[in-house]
Amino acid sequence: MSQPKVDATTRAAVDWLLRLEAAAEDPSVRQAFETWLRANPQHAIAWQRVGSLLQQPIADLQRVEARSPGQLRAVTQALAAPDSESRRKVLRGSLALVLFGISGAAIFDRAQPLNGLWADRHTATGERKTFELADGSRLSLNARSSVDIHFTDTRRLVRLREGQVFVDVAADPRRPFVIATAQGEVQALGTQFMVRQEATGSLTSVQLHSVQVTTSGGSQRRVEAGEAAWFSDSDVRPVPLSVRTRADWRDGRVDIRDEPLGLLIDALRPYRRGVLRVSEQASKVRIYGVYPLDDPEQTLASLAQTFPLRISHYGPWLTLIDVR
Amino acid sequence: MSTPTDPKVLLATLYDDNHRWLRAWLYRQLKCPQDAADLTQDTFIRILDARQLNQLDEPRAFLSTVARRLLFSFWRRKRLEQTYLDSLAQLPDAYTPSEEDLALVREALESIDRLLNGLPPRVRQIFMLNRLEGLSQPVIAQQLKVSLATVERDLRRAFLHCLAESADLT
Repeated sequence: MSQPKVDATTRAAVDWLLRLEAAAEDPSVRQAFETWLRANPQHAIAWQRVGSLLQQPIADLQRVEARSPGQLRAVTQALAAPDSESRRKVLRGSLALVLFGISGAAIFDRAQPLNGLWADRHTATGERKTFELADGSRLSLNARSSVDIHFTDTRRLVRLREGQVFVDVAADPRRPFVIATAQGEVQALGTQFMVRQEATGSLTSVQLHSVQVTTSGGSQRRVEAGEAAWFSDSDVRPVPLSVRTRADWRDGRVDIRDEPLGLLIDALRPYRRGVLRVSEQASKVRIYGVYPLDDPEQTLASLAQTFPLRISHYGPWLTLIDVR
Repeated sequence: MSTPTDPKVLLATLYDDNHRWLRAWLYRQLKCPQDAADLTQDTFIRILDARQLNQLDEPRAFLSTVARRLLFSFWRRKRLEQTYLDSLAQLPDAYTPSEEDLALVREALESIDRLLNGLPPRVRQIFMLNRLEGLSQPVIAQQLKVSLATVERDLRRAFLHCLAESADLT
Protein backbone atom coordinates (compact mmCIF):
# COMPACT_ATOMS: atom_id res chain seq x y z
CA MET A 1 0.00 0.00 0.00
CA SER A 2 2.75 2.39 0.94
CA GLN A 3 4.91 1.58 -2.06
CA PRO A 4 3.42 4.03 -4.53
CA LYS A 5 4.62 6.82 -2.20
CA VAL A 6 8.18 6.12 -3.28
CA ASP A 7 9.12 7.96 -6.44
CA ALA A 8 10.61 6.28 -9.51
CA THR A 9 14.14 7.62 -8.96
CA THR A 10 14.28 6.27 -5.41
CA ARG A 11 12.96 2.95 -6.67
CA ALA A 12 15.73 2.90 -9.25
CA ALA A 13 18.29 3.56 -6.49
CA VAL A 14 16.94 0.56 -4.55
CA ASP A 15 17.25 -1.57 -7.68
CA TRP A 16 20.85 -0.47 -8.08
CA LEU A 17 21.72 -1.24 -4.49
CA LEU A 18 20.35 -4.77 -4.81
CA ARG A 19 22.00 -5.29 -8.17
CA LEU A 20 25.39 -4.00 -7.04
CA GLU A 21 25.35 -6.17 -3.97
CA ALA A 22 24.79 -9.20 -6.15
CA ALA A 23 27.18 -8.31 -8.97
CA ALA A 24 29.63 -5.64 -7.85
CA GLU A 25 32.54 -7.47 -9.44
CA ASP A 26 30.97 -7.28 -12.85
CA PRO A 27 32.58 -4.21 -14.47
CA SER A 28 29.68 -3.69 -16.87
CA VAL A 29 27.22 -3.47 -13.97
CA ARG A 30 29.46 -0.99 -12.17
CA GLN A 31 29.92 1.10 -15.27
CA ALA A 32 26.19 1.17 -15.90
CA PHE A 33 25.65 2.17 -12.27
CA GLU A 34 28.14 5.01 -12.43
CA THR A 35 26.58 6.26 -15.64
CA TRP A 36 23.20 6.26 -13.94
CA LEU A 37 24.59 7.97 -10.82
CA ARG A 38 26.12 10.81 -12.86
CA ALA A 39 23.23 11.19 -15.27
CA ASN A 40 21.19 13.42 -12.96
CA PRO A 41 21.84 15.10 -9.58
CA GLN A 42 18.53 13.67 -8.39
CA HIS A 43 20.01 10.19 -8.82
CA ALA A 44 22.83 10.94 -6.36
CA ILE A 45 20.32 12.35 -3.86
CA ALA A 46 18.13 9.26 -4.16
CA TRP A 47 21.18 6.99 -3.81
CA GLN A 48 22.23 8.85 -0.68
CA ARG A 49 18.74 8.54 0.75
CA VAL A 50 18.58 4.78 0.16
CA GLY A 51 22.10 4.25 1.52
CA SER A 52 21.49 6.23 4.69
CA LEU A 53 18.29 4.39 5.56
CA LEU A 54 18.52 3.24 9.21
CA GLN A 55 22.20 4.13 9.22
CA GLN A 56 22.17 5.59 12.73
CA PRO A 57 20.40 2.78 14.62
CA ILE A 58 22.42 0.15 12.74
CA ALA A 59 25.70 1.93 13.53
CA ASP A 60 24.68 2.12 17.21
CA LEU A 61 23.86 -1.58 17.30
CA GLN A 62 27.16 -2.48 15.68
CA ARG A 63 29.04 -0.44 18.26
CA VAL A 64 27.25 -2.30 21.03
CA GLU A 65 27.90 -5.61 19.23
CA ALA A 66 31.63 -4.90 19.26
CA ARG A 67 31.53 -4.55 23.04
CA SER A 68 29.03 -7.32 23.80
CA PRO A 69 28.76 -9.85 20.97
CA GLY A 70 25.35 -11.38 20.27
CA GLN A 71 23.32 -8.18 20.01
CA LEU A 72 22.80 -8.24 16.25
CA ARG A 73 21.46 -11.78 16.33
CA ALA A 74 19.12 -11.02 19.24
CA VAL A 75 17.91 -7.81 17.64
CA THR A 76 17.23 -9.58 14.33
CA GLN A 77 15.26 -12.23 16.19
CA ALA A 78 13.28 -9.68 18.17
CA LEU A 79 12.43 -7.63 15.10
CA ALA A 80 11.59 -10.67 13.00
CA ALA A 81 9.26 -12.12 15.64
CA PRO A 82 5.85 -11.93 13.95
CA ASP A 83 3.97 -8.83 15.12
CA SER A 84 3.58 -7.44 18.58
CA GLU A 85 0.57 -9.65 19.34
CA SER A 86 2.25 -12.88 18.38
CA ARG A 87 5.37 -11.61 20.08
CA ARG A 88 3.43 -11.55 23.27
CA LYS A 89 2.26 -15.11 22.63
CA VAL A 90 5.83 -16.17 21.98
CA LEU A 91 6.77 -14.79 25.35
CA ARG A 92 4.02 -16.56 27.20
CA GLY A 93 4.84 -20.16 28.09
CA SER A 94 8.27 -21.68 28.02
CA LEU A 95 7.39 -24.16 25.26
CA ALA A 96 6.89 -21.27 22.87
CA LEU A 97 10.23 -19.86 23.98
CA VAL A 98 11.96 -23.15 23.29
CA LEU A 99 10.42 -23.28 19.81
CA PHE A 100 11.50 -19.74 19.17
CA GLY A 101 15.03 -20.65 20.18
CA ILE A 102 15.08 -23.59 17.78
CA SER A 103 13.82 -21.58 14.85
CA GLY A 104 16.56 -19.06 15.63
CA ALA A 105 19.15 -21.83 15.57
CA ALA A 106 17.79 -23.37 12.39
CA ILE A 107 18.57 -20.34 10.30
CA PHE A 108 22.06 -20.37 11.64
CA ASP A 109 24.80 -20.76 9.08
CA ARG A 110 27.67 -23.04 10.05
CA ALA A 111 30.17 -21.36 7.83
CA GLN A 112 30.46 -17.61 8.43
CA PRO A 113 30.59 -15.48 10.64
CA LEU A 114 27.73 -16.04 13.05
CA ASN A 115 28.85 -19.44 14.22
CA GLY A 116 31.04 -17.46 16.58
CA LEU A 117 28.03 -17.12 18.84
CA TRP A 118 28.09 -20.84 19.46
CA ALA A 119 31.79 -21.06 20.10
CA ASP A 120 33.51 -20.96 23.46
CA ARG A 121 35.52 -17.85 22.67
CA HIS A 122 35.00 -15.43 19.84
CA THR A 123 35.70 -11.95 18.62
CA ALA A 124 33.44 -9.59 16.70
CA THR A 125 34.30 -7.46 13.69
CA GLY A 126 37.19 -5.13 14.54
CA GLU A 127 37.91 -6.80 17.86
CA ARG A 128 40.97 -8.70 19.15
CA LYS A 129 41.19 -10.61 22.42
CA THR A 130 43.78 -12.54 24.37
CA PHE A 131 42.61 -15.20 26.83
CA GLU A 132 44.50 -17.09 29.48
CA LEU A 133 43.41 -20.73 29.40
CA ALA A 134 43.04 -23.04 32.40
CA ASP A 135 46.56 -24.45 31.89
CA GLY A 136 48.18 -21.00 31.72
CA SER A 137 48.51 -20.95 27.92
CA ARG A 138 47.69 -17.67 26.25
CA LEU A 139 45.39 -17.62 23.25
CA SER A 140 45.02 -14.53 21.04
CA LEU A 141 42.13 -14.26 18.60
CA ASN A 142 42.20 -11.96 15.61
CA ALA A 143 39.00 -10.11 14.67
CA ARG A 144 36.03 -12.25 13.56
CA SER A 145 37.52 -15.46 14.92
CA SER A 146 36.13 -18.19 17.13
CA VAL A 147 37.38 -21.30 18.93
CA ASP A 148 35.97 -24.11 21.06
CA ILE A 149 38.10 -25.31 23.94
CA HIS A 150 38.14 -28.97 25.03
CA PHE A 151 40.69 -29.81 27.70
CA THR A 152 40.81 -33.40 29.00
CA ASP A 153 43.28 -35.40 31.11
CA THR A 154 45.12 -36.55 27.99
CA ARG A 155 44.90 -33.66 25.55
CA ARG A 156 44.41 -29.90 25.30
CA LEU A 157 42.35 -29.33 22.18
CA VAL A 158 41.37 -25.95 20.73
CA ARG A 159 39.08 -26.18 17.71
CA LEU A 160 39.47 -23.17 15.41
CA ARG A 161 36.09 -22.58 13.79
CA GLU A 162 36.95 -19.44 11.88
CA GLY A 163 39.56 -16.76 11.71
CA GLN A 164 43.04 -16.73 13.10
CA VAL A 165 44.57 -17.66 16.41
CA PHE A 166 48.01 -17.27 17.96
CA VAL A 167 48.95 -19.40 20.93
CA ASP A 168 51.70 -19.22 23.52
CA VAL A 169 51.61 -22.70 25.01
CA ALA A 170 52.30 -23.46 28.66
CA ALA A 171 54.42 -26.59 29.04
CA ASP A 172 52.59 -29.77 30.10
CA PRO A 173 54.39 -32.95 28.93
CA ARG A 174 51.43 -35.19 29.84
CA ARG A 175 48.89 -33.34 27.72
CA PRO A 176 49.79 -32.32 24.15
CA PHE A 177 48.37 -28.98 22.96
CA VAL A 178 46.55 -29.25 19.63
CA ILE A 179 44.75 -26.75 17.41
CA ALA A 180 42.27 -28.42 15.08
CA THR A 181 40.92 -26.84 11.88
CA ALA A 182 38.51 -28.12 9.25
CA GLN A 183 41.43 -29.76 7.44
CA GLY A 184 43.54 -31.27 10.21
CA GLU A 185 45.49 -30.71 13.41
CA VAL A 186 48.52 -28.72 14.44
CA GLN A 187 50.27 -30.09 17.51
CA ALA A 188 52.63 -27.91 19.52
CA LEU A 189 56.11 -29.33 19.98
CA GLY A 190 57.21 -26.14 21.67
CA THR A 191 55.56 -22.86 22.36
CA GLN A 192 54.50 -20.08 19.97
CA PHE A 193 52.62 -20.59 16.73
CA MET A 194 49.75 -19.24 14.63
CA VAL A 195 46.92 -21.09 12.89
CA ARG A 196 44.58 -19.58 10.39
CA GLN A 197 41.40 -21.07 8.94
CA GLU A 198 40.88 -20.00 5.32
CA ALA A 199 38.04 -20.81 2.97
CA THR A 200 39.73 -23.76 1.27
CA GLY A 201 42.49 -24.77 3.65
CA SER A 202 44.48 -23.94 6.77
CA LEU A 203 47.70 -22.11 7.34
CA THR A 204 50.15 -22.36 10.20
CA SER A 205 53.36 -20.50 11.01
CA VAL A 206 55.78 -21.05 13.86
CA GLN A 207 57.47 -18.34 15.90
CA LEU A 208 59.26 -20.53 18.45
CA HIS A 209 60.25 -24.24 18.40
CA SER A 210 58.12 -26.34 16.05
CA VAL A 211 54.72 -27.94 15.37
CA GLN A 212 53.58 -31.20 13.82
CA VAL A 213 50.79 -30.88 11.21
CA THR A 214 48.57 -33.92 10.61
CA THR A 215 45.87 -33.55 7.96
CA SER A 216 42.58 -35.39 8.29
CA GLY A 217 43.73 -37.59 5.38
CA GLY A 218 46.82 -38.60 7.38
CA SER A 219 49.61 -36.56 5.74
CA GLN A 220 52.18 -35.23 8.18
CA ARG A 221 54.86 -32.57 8.23
CA ARG A 222 56.98 -30.90 10.86
CA VAL A 223 57.15 -27.10 10.64
CA GLU A 224 60.08 -25.33 12.32
CA ALA A 225 60.40 -21.82 13.76
CA GLY A 226 60.43 -19.16 11.04
CA GLU A 227 58.58 -21.45 8.61
CA ALA A 228 55.00 -21.67 7.46
CA ALA A 229 52.86 -24.41 5.92
CA TRP A 230 49.52 -24.65 4.16
CA PHE A 231 47.38 -27.76 4.45
CA SER A 232 44.24 -29.27 2.99
CA ASP A 233 42.52 -32.54 3.99
CA SER A 234 45.09 -34.54 2.05
CA ASP A 235 48.16 -32.43 1.60
CA VAL A 236 50.56 -30.30 3.63
CA ARG A 237 53.27 -28.17 2.01
CA PRO A 238 55.64 -25.39 2.99
CA VAL A 239 54.78 -21.83 1.90
CA PRO A 240 56.89 -18.66 2.00
CA LEU A 241 56.31 -16.21 4.83
CA SER A 242 53.82 -13.53 3.85
CA VAL A 243 51.33 -11.13 5.33
CA ARG A 244 49.05 -14.16 5.78
CA THR A 245 51.52 -16.04 7.95
CA ARG A 246 52.73 -13.16 10.14
CA ALA A 247 51.08 -12.46 13.45
CA ASP A 248 51.47 -8.66 13.61
CA TRP A 249 47.72 -8.45 13.99
CA ARG A 250 48.28 -9.13 17.67
CA ASP A 251 49.73 -5.62 17.87
CA GLY A 252 46.94 -4.17 15.75
CA ARG A 253 48.91 -3.73 12.56
CA VAL A 254 49.66 -5.45 9.31
CA ASP A 255 53.16 -5.51 7.93
CA ILE A 256 53.10 -5.95 4.17
CA ARG A 257 56.33 -6.24 2.18
CA ASP A 258 55.96 -5.86 -1.55
CA GLU A 259 52.90 -8.10 -1.60
CA PRO A 260 49.65 -7.78 -3.55
CA LEU A 261 46.93 -5.41 -2.31
CA GLY A 262 44.45 -8.30 -2.23
CA LEU A 263 46.29 -9.77 0.78
CA LEU A 264 46.19 -6.48 2.66
CA ILE A 265 42.48 -6.11 1.95
CA ASP A 266 41.87 -9.65 3.23
CA ALA A 267 43.63 -8.68 6.47
CA LEU A 268 41.39 -5.61 6.80
CA ARG A 269 38.09 -7.40 6.12
CA PRO A 270 37.58 -8.75 9.66
CA TYR A 271 37.95 -5.17 10.90
CA ARG A 272 35.27 -3.68 8.76
CA ARG A 273 31.59 -4.03 8.03
CA GLY A 274 30.01 -3.57 4.66
CA VAL A 275 31.04 -5.01 1.33
CA LEU A 276 34.60 -4.31 0.15
CA ARG A 277 35.23 -5.26 -3.46
CA VAL A 278 38.62 -5.11 -5.12
CA SER A 279 38.94 -5.30 -8.91
CA GLU A 280 41.23 -8.00 -10.21
CA GLN A 281 43.71 -5.44 -11.50
CA ALA A 282 43.78 -3.51 -8.23
CA SER A 283 44.24 -6.66 -6.14
CA LYS A 284 47.57 -7.26 -7.94
CA VAL A 285 49.05 -3.84 -7.14
CA ARG A 286 52.19 -4.39 -5.02
CA ILE A 287 52.03 -2.76 -1.59
CA TYR A 288 54.75 -1.99 0.91
CA GLY A 289 54.30 -0.62 4.40
CA VAL A 290 52.90 -1.04 7.89
CA TYR A 291 49.20 -0.28 8.27
CA PRO A 292 46.99 -0.05 11.36
CA LEU A 293 44.09 -2.53 11.49
CA ASP A 294 41.91 -0.62 13.91
CA ASP A 295 41.03 2.20 11.53
CA PRO A 296 40.42 0.49 8.17
CA GLU A 297 38.84 3.61 6.63
CA GLN A 298 41.98 5.62 7.36
CA THR A 299 44.14 2.80 6.00
CA LEU A 300 42.11 2.76 2.76
CA ALA A 301 42.37 6.52 2.44
CA SER A 302 46.15 6.50 2.87
CA LEU A 303 46.49 3.67 0.35
CA ALA A 304 44.65 5.76 -2.21
CA GLN A 305 47.13 8.59 -1.61
CA THR A 306 50.24 6.45 -1.92
CA PHE A 307 49.31 3.97 -4.64
CA PRO A 308 47.55 4.35 -7.99
CA LEU A 309 44.21 3.28 -6.54
CA ARG A 310 40.75 4.73 -6.72
CA ILE A 311 38.44 4.06 -3.80
CA SER A 312 34.74 4.75 -4.26
CA HIS A 313 32.30 4.66 -1.37
CA TYR A 314 28.66 4.02 -2.21
CA GLY A 315 27.15 4.71 1.17
CA PRO A 316 28.37 2.73 4.20
CA TRP A 317 27.60 -0.64 2.63
CA LEU A 318 29.65 -0.80 -0.46
CA THR A 319 33.24 0.23 -1.15
CA LEU A 320 34.95 -0.47 -4.45
CA ILE A 321 38.69 -0.38 -5.04
CA ASP A 322 40.05 -0.09 -8.54
CA VAL A 323 43.21 1.13 -10.27
CA ARG A 324 43.36 4.80 -11.25
CA MET B 1 -16.96 34.95 34.40
CA SER B 2 -13.16 34.73 34.41
CA THR B 3 -12.58 31.82 32.03
CA PRO B 4 -8.81 31.72 31.67
CA THR B 5 -7.51 31.49 28.12
CA ASP B 6 -3.79 31.52 28.73
CA PRO B 7 -2.72 27.99 27.69
CA LYS B 8 -0.22 27.81 30.56
CA VAL B 9 -2.95 28.53 33.11
CA LEU B 10 -5.30 26.06 31.39
CA LEU B 11 -2.69 23.34 31.45
CA ALA B 12 -1.84 24.03 35.11
CA THR B 13 -5.51 23.75 36.05
CA LEU B 14 -5.94 20.59 34.00
CA TYR B 15 -2.86 19.13 35.68
CA ASP B 16 -3.91 20.05 39.21
CA ASP B 17 -7.41 18.67 38.73
CA ASN B 18 -6.49 15.45 36.99
CA HIS B 19 -2.93 14.23 37.39
CA ARG B 20 -3.66 12.09 40.47
CA TRP B 21 -6.63 10.56 38.78
CA LEU B 22 -4.63 9.87 35.60
CA ARG B 23 -1.76 8.33 37.54
CA ALA B 24 -4.18 6.01 39.36
CA TRP B 25 -5.81 5.09 36.03
CA LEU B 26 -2.41 4.31 34.49
CA TYR B 27 -1.34 2.42 37.60
CA ARG B 28 -4.32 0.09 37.18
CA GLN B 29 -3.12 -0.67 33.63
CA LEU B 30 0.58 -0.93 34.37
CA LYS B 31 0.81 -2.20 37.98
CA CYS B 32 4.03 -0.26 38.32
CA PRO B 33 4.09 3.09 40.15
CA GLN B 34 7.25 4.26 38.39
CA ASP B 35 5.93 3.60 34.87
CA ALA B 36 2.56 5.09 35.81
CA ALA B 37 4.24 8.29 37.00
CA ASP B 38 6.37 8.49 33.84
CA LEU B 39 3.43 7.99 31.50
CA THR B 40 1.39 10.57 33.43
CA GLN B 41 4.10 13.14 32.77
CA ASP B 42 4.35 12.03 29.13
CA THR B 43 0.61 12.48 28.69
CA PHE B 44 0.70 16.07 29.89
CA ILE B 45 3.78 16.81 27.79
CA ARG B 46 1.97 15.37 24.78
CA ILE B 47 -0.96 17.78 25.17
CA LEU B 48 1.20 20.89 25.65
CA ASP B 49 0.50 21.91 22.08
CA ALA B 50 -3.12 20.87 21.96
CA ARG B 51 -5.11 23.86 20.74
CA GLN B 52 -8.49 22.88 22.07
CA LEU B 53 -7.56 22.95 25.77
CA ASN B 54 -10.07 25.71 26.53
CA GLN B 55 -12.95 23.81 24.96
CA LEU B 56 -12.57 20.53 26.82
CA ASP B 57 -15.97 19.25 27.91
CA GLU B 58 -14.64 15.95 29.11
CA PRO B 59 -11.03 16.54 30.18
CA ARG B 60 -10.67 13.04 31.59
CA ALA B 61 -11.92 11.38 28.41
CA PHE B 62 -9.42 13.49 26.48
CA LEU B 63 -6.57 12.64 28.85
CA SER B 64 -7.31 8.93 28.82
CA THR B 65 -7.43 8.91 25.01
CA VAL B 66 -3.98 10.44 24.85
CA ALA B 67 -2.73 8.17 27.64
CA ARG B 68 -4.13 5.07 25.93
CA ARG B 69 -2.14 5.87 22.80
CA LEU B 70 1.01 6.26 24.89
CA LEU B 71 0.25 3.03 26.73
CA PHE B 72 -0.02 1.17 23.47
CA SER B 73 3.41 2.22 22.27
CA PHE B 74 4.82 1.70 25.75
CA TRP B 75 3.65 -1.91 25.73
CA ARG B 76 4.90 -2.42 22.22
CA ARG B 77 8.35 -1.17 23.25
CA LYS B 78 8.34 -3.38 26.34
CA ARG B 79 7.43 -6.46 24.31
CA LEU B 80 10.09 -5.70 21.75
CA GLU B 81 12.71 -5.25 24.43
CA GLN B 82 11.61 -8.40 26.21
CA THR B 83 11.81 -10.43 23.00
CA TYR B 84 15.29 -9.08 22.42
CA LEU B 85 16.41 -9.93 25.98
CA ASP B 86 14.92 -13.41 25.67
CA SER B 87 16.69 -13.96 22.37
CA LEU B 88 19.90 -12.81 23.96
CA ALA B 89 19.42 -15.28 26.81
CA GLN B 90 18.91 -18.08 24.25
CA LEU B 91 22.23 -17.42 22.56
CA PRO B 92 24.78 -19.46 24.52
CA ASP B 93 27.70 -17.10 24.10
CA ALA B 94 26.02 -13.73 23.82
CA TYR B 95 26.78 -11.05 26.36
CA THR B 96 24.31 -8.79 28.10
CA PRO B 97 25.31 -5.22 27.37
CA SER B 98 25.90 -2.53 29.98
CA GLU B 99 22.96 -0.31 31.01
CA GLU B 100 24.31 2.43 28.79
CA ASP B 101 24.57 0.16 25.75
CA LEU B 102 21.17 -1.29 26.55
CA ALA B 103 19.73 2.21 26.19
CA LEU B 104 21.29 2.45 22.72
CA VAL B 105 19.90 -0.96 21.77
CA ARG B 106 16.45 0.01 23.04
CA GLU B 107 16.44 3.17 20.99
CA ALA B 108 17.73 1.42 17.87
CA LEU B 109 15.17 -1.38 18.27
CA GLU B 110 12.35 1.14 18.46
CA SER B 111 13.39 3.18 15.48
CA ILE B 112 13.93 0.11 13.29
CA ASP B 113 10.67 -1.42 14.48
CA ARG B 114 8.82 1.79 13.67
CA LEU B 115 10.04 1.66 10.08
CA LEU B 116 9.41 -2.07 9.65
CA ASN B 117 5.94 -1.82 11.18
CA GLY B 118 3.42 -3.63 8.98
CA LEU B 119 5.85 -5.88 7.14
CA PRO B 120 5.48 -9.66 7.46
CA PRO B 121 8.01 -11.53 9.62
CA ARG B 122 10.00 -13.11 6.79
CA VAL B 123 10.46 -9.78 5.02
CA ARG B 124 11.63 -8.21 8.28
CA GLN B 125 14.00 -11.08 8.92
CA ILE B 126 15.54 -11.00 5.44
CA PHE B 127 15.96 -7.24 5.63
CA MET B 128 17.69 -7.44 9.02
CA LEU B 129 19.99 -10.30 7.99
CA ASN B 130 21.08 -8.24 4.99
CA ARG B 131 21.27 -4.76 6.50
CA LEU B 132 22.20 -5.44 10.10
CA GLU B 133 24.20 -8.65 9.93
CA GLY B 134 25.63 -7.94 6.48
CA LEU B 135 24.77 -11.32 4.94
CA SER B 136 24.72 -11.50 1.14
CA GLN B 137 21.57 -12.39 -0.75
CA PRO B 138 22.75 -15.93 -1.69
CA VAL B 139 23.74 -16.68 1.93
CA ILE B 140 20.33 -15.54 3.16
CA ALA B 141 18.58 -17.66 0.51
CA GLN B 142 20.58 -20.68 1.65
CA GLN B 143 19.96 -20.09 5.35
CA LEU B 144 16.24 -19.55 5.06
CA LYS B 145 15.84 -22.17 2.33
CA VAL B 146 14.08 -19.78 -0.03
CA SER B 147 14.93 -18.82 -3.59
CA LEU B 148 17.28 -15.99 -4.44
CA ALA B 149 14.39 -14.27 -6.24
CA THR B 150 12.36 -14.33 -3.01
CA VAL B 151 15.22 -12.75 -1.07
CA GLU B 152 15.56 -10.02 -3.67
CA ARG B 153 11.82 -9.38 -3.80
CA ASP B 154 11.53 -9.21 -0.01
CA LEU B 155 14.52 -6.88 0.24
CA ARG B 156 13.05 -4.55 -2.35
CA ARG B 157 9.72 -4.58 -0.58
CA ALA B 158 11.33 -3.79 2.78
CA PHE B 159 13.38 -0.97 1.29
CA LEU B 160 10.39 0.64 -0.37
CA HIS B 161 8.29 0.24 2.77
CA CYS B 162 10.96 1.84 4.98
CA LEU B 163 11.55 4.66 2.52
CA ALA B 164 7.83 5.41 2.41
CA GLU B 165 7.60 5.28 6.22
CA SER B 166 10.63 7.51 6.72
CA ALA B 167 9.18 10.03 4.27
CA ASP B 168 6.04 10.09 6.45
CA LEU B 169 8.06 10.80 9.57
CA THR B 170 9.92 13.76 8.17
